[in-house]
Amino acid sequence: MLKKLNFSNWKAYVYIMPAILGIGVFTIYPIIQAAIWSLQKVNQLNPEKTKFVGLDNYKYLLSKKAFLTVLKNTGVYTLWTVIIILFIALVMAVMLNHKQNRLSKFAQAAAFTPHIISMVSISMVFTQMMNPNYGLFNTILSSLNLPTSRWLMSSDSAMGSVIFVACWKSIGYYCLIILGALQSVPVSLYEAAELDNSSFFNTLFHITIPMISPQLFFTLIVMTIGSFKVFDTVRLLTDGGPNNATSTIVYYIYKCVFWDWNVGRATAAGIILLLAVGLLTLIYFRLLNRRVYYQ
Amino acid sequence: MASITFQNVTKKFDKNVVIENLDLEIKDGSFTVLVGPSGCGKTTLLRMIAGIGPQTSGKIMIGDKDVTEIKPGQRSVAMVFQNYAIYPTMSVRGNIEFGLKNNHVPKEKREKLVLEACEKVGMLEYLDRKPGTLSGGQRQRIALARAIVKKPSVFLMDEPLSNLDAKLRVQMRVELIELHNKLKTTFVYVTHDQVEAMSMADTIVLMNNGKIQQIASPSVMYRDPDNLFTARFIGSPAMNIRKLRDTGHMVGFRPEKGIISTEKFDEGICLSGVIVAKELLGNTVNYSVRDQENNTYIISTDNEDFETSQQVWVGGREKDLYFFDADEQRIRENDADYCSLIEHARRL
Repeated sequence: MLKKLNFSNWKAYVYIMPAILGIGVFTIYPIIQAAIWSLQKVNQLNPEKTKFVGLDNYKYLLSKKAFLTVLKNTGVYTLWTVIIILFIALVMAVMLNHKQNRLSKFAQAAAFTPHIISMVSISMVFTQMMNPNYGLFNTILSSLNLPTSRWLMSSDSAMGSVIFVACWKSIGYYCLIILGALQSVPVSLYEAAELDNSSFFNTLFHITIPMISPQLFFTLIVMTIGSFKVFDTVRLLTDGGPNNATSTIVYYIYKCVFWDWNVGRATAAGIILLLAVGLLTLIYFRLLNRRVYYQ
Repeated sequence: MASITFQNVTKKFDKNVVIENLDLEIKDGSFTVLVGPSGCGKTTLLRMIAGIGPQTSGKIMIGDKDVTEIKPGQRSVAMVFQNYAIYPTMSVRGNIEFGLKNNHVPKEKREKLVLEACEKVGMLEYLDRKPGTLSGGQRQRIALARAIVKKPSVFLMDEPLSNLDAKLRVQMRVELIELHNKLKTTFVYVTHDQVEAMSMADTIVLMNNGKIQQIASPSVMYRDPDNLFTARFIGSPAMNIRKLRDTGHMVGFRPEKGIISTEKFDEGICLSGVIVAKELLGNTVNYSVRDQENNTYIISTDNEDFETSQQVWVGGREKDLYFFDADEQRIRENDADYCSLIEHARRL
């Protein structure tokens, strides 16, 4: 049963009004507007020609093979970036936390550096290094007599290459977050574990990871949402190609708007993205929240 | 059960020498308390026994085994930490059985041991609770159970009562003494609180600046201190000390053995002064008395008749006086100087 709004404490409403106004104007309104557009055939040059088409945009998208490929690509990209980044960042953080000296401080800074470099520069460097003819990667591989790859140029290896660059850019950042979490674990717990004859892996799985589970959970959610919204990496490295092999939802939305000028379809794709991210977050909370230890 | 021996042990943190060439033997089955002011190296000593802060050089033996190269988990020691170091993500049961699991104790035996240990500390009904929902005293008990369950030959305790309130501390003190009587294993207990040391130990190791000042039973520590540091550290309020004129020697008497009177008396030392503070503690009263040379003496007595600002005579009987030389070492009755020092003291 809904409680009736009680206006006798009107002061409270006054206090929260600025925040509510902000959320209303900048969050709620755009979402509603997008939802409305997604049900229309939008004509931005002549708004009078905009007409209501019901779920046609959604029907069109979900029946199009290209869009389904885009959904699958986004899923694959998210799955692998999240798994790889979380795993490597955790391993690196545990190693860096193990012994703090000058070398580890340097490694920490070095790992973080990719995060502060613009994706544009990174893309330029990696496109060059991944060039099948004169790129560094293939030069090294062929000098070692290993099979070379066409990297970004082949639909088989393009997604892998994009994931590689994305991981390279983000691992250091997440490593730092996890390292921060690790450093807040009291040393005496590790000492107690040592006295309890706990092996390295027992300590890792029964003490370290549960202790940093809130930060890991946060990282997981932020990373999943971020990966679902990937755009710049794809735009700069492959333009969604070859043959749509690396096209993701946001890149598809971008193309809908700026190539096809179809705002209705783009917003429909946007709403699908919103629902997908929402659903996934909900699943995470349902499955994992019980296992997260909050102080 | 095992004795612990330190042989020529040195501990450095970077270039900072905390303990140098220390020799110490802790007897099998004893309740040994390491006591001393903050930073004296007592916790460092304890952590060396545990192996979680190994010595820089020298040898540590548990029983007749050199444990220098042995991992903490395999030394057959259990430790109770100052902040308990309970694993907050595990249930009470998980905390207690973690060590057993790591040692691959079979499930049924584990269950039996956990229940046994939990019963000893009276925490049976909390087995499935998370530590976050328990009070300080209860966490303390879990930490104890976690130690007991391993049936170690040495119990190490690092100020385990310092986070408890005064009443609970007294209660836990008694329980720890009982536990020691029941288990009859070696207990090594670190504290900075001399009252705790006096009330629990059968042997006290008093330390200062990384050096052992005296090893003795509580009563010897109190009655027969080897040096000025021991005399001042053990006993509360601390021993009254005053320099003897010209010689550089010192004389002291315990507040609880001190005399306070409105009339001059002709025993031991007798000094005149003014009462500057009167503390009523219930069964005793502490008077702080200041003489003309600005030395303050504390007298503990059950006589409540004196008042602040009153002119009084204070001192100690001859048999209650302690003498120390310029190096702060004790001068006892059979030392040659003793008689002349008594004369000096009388003339104060």
